[in-house]
Amino acid sequence: MTLSANERARYQRHLALTEIGAAGQEKLKAARVLVVGAGGLGSPAALYLAAAGCGTLGLLDCDRVELSNLQRQVLFDSSGIARSKAEAGRERLASLNPEIRVLAHALELKAANVRALFADYDLVLDGTDRLATRYLINDACVILGLPLVSAAIHRFEGQVMTYVPGRGPCYRCVFPQAPEGGVPNCAQAGVLGVLPGVLGTLQATEAIKLIAGVGEPLVGRLLTYDALEMRFHEFRVARRPDCAVCGDAPTITEPRDPAPLPGAVAGAVRRLTASVLSELLRDEHAPALHLVDVREVYEFSAGHLQGSVNIPLGELPRRLAEIAPYEAPVFICRSGGRSMAACELALRAGITAPANLEGGLLAWAATIDPELPVA
Amino acid sequence: MSCTVRIASPLRSYTAGVPALAARGSTLAEVLANLEQRCPGIRFRMIDEHDRIRPHMRLFVNTSEARELSAVVRDGDTVHVICALSGG
Repeated sequence: MTLSANERARYQRHLALTEIGAAGQEKLKAARVLVVGAGGLGSPAALYLAAAGCGTLGLLDCDRVELSNLQRQVLFDSSGIARSKAEAGRERLASLNPEIRVLAHALELKAANVRALFADYDLVLDGTDRLATRYLINDACVILGLPLVSAAIHRFEGQVMTYVPGRGPCYRCVFPQAPEGGVPNCAQAGVLGVLPGVLGTLQATEAIKLIAGVGEPLVGRLLTYDALEMRFHEFRVARRPDCAVCGDAPTITEPRDPAPLPGAVAGAVRRLTASVLSELLRDEHAPALHLVDVREVYEFSAGHLQGSVNIPLGELPRRLAEIAPYEAPVFICRSGGRSMAACELALRAGITAPANLEGGLLAWAATIDPELPVA
Repeated sequence: MSCTVRIASPLRSYTAGVPALAARGSTLAEVLANLEQRCPGIRFRMIDEHDRIRPHMRLFVNTSEARELSAVVRDGDTVHVICALSGG
């Protein structure tokens, strides 16, 4: 795939690198890279891949741009608020480099569509903010034989690693299972705006190296970054022979969505809308409600329902005894996801009839009390 | 034996935000027991009821992964506690 005169001018600084040169730039032009998640990580990664001349660049995200994204998601600006991230990002990348083809995938990645989507790409970058999606991406890449560059962030800390099927461990080798109740994402825990800039550009660097076939990729090497201490650490991680997807006897042979809540659990959880909970709290004849807010401490401090107690979801397994004496606790979080995980934990511990505030405090603020600050 | 334990960001609520602590012990089990005395509850976030490292946690002694609590820790070593992160 030869370069035009315009492309030779645009990529002159790459052509001057003996490690890249015309051959490497032509490989970049022929490359098809999918960036899953147009967020803090996907923004810088996609911008640099577009600028570098990655010939086909896919951007997958089902969300819309929010004001709180702009602190770190440099792919977007204020004029893009409420627009589809995939579409707004596609326009920005096409404007940055009209020589490349940019495809917008404004949809949610699922087991049902992952094969068809990944089939059109040679390399995948994972910048999603859900652990369940990280496992889906990893499993699909292993099964389809696609290299994957994965990064993740939390507050001031980040991780990045490259997975090449047949050449080292996969994501499940490093972290075989997601924790019960998940781990906090950026919205829940906060994140330094520039942090994903560091990790996302590392992802783009790895992608360019893999495509050009130069350097030493982060295969079998987990790189961590602590922005507060300004330290990088590198750890050797080996493939697990008992890995569920890339091991010697894999039990996962098809991409799959995370297991839904077991029917018995789903049926045993009472689902309270904000309106119903508000009525119950006002009803003097109703039994006293025990409200348990499972958000992080800083979120609780910013604003919470009167009378609620704070037990962050991560601490709940060892603090279940604190709520065991109460009948029918009501679990609360920001949007209803962590509180449902808390209900499941409570049921497994034998606590009867836990309730979940559907839609969380965001729903409460939208329908009952717009003055409630929700971090 | 004295070592340094570097704490993953999601567990720093147990260490008052401190990223690294000194701890004593000649095995990973002893180091974590020592850490637990000063940071109650932190061990349970890493190790389950069957003394297994939780599948979303990884422990390293210097740069080598420790998959068992019997892993040897020497004077001056650094134990790294790594946690799966989900933010993007």
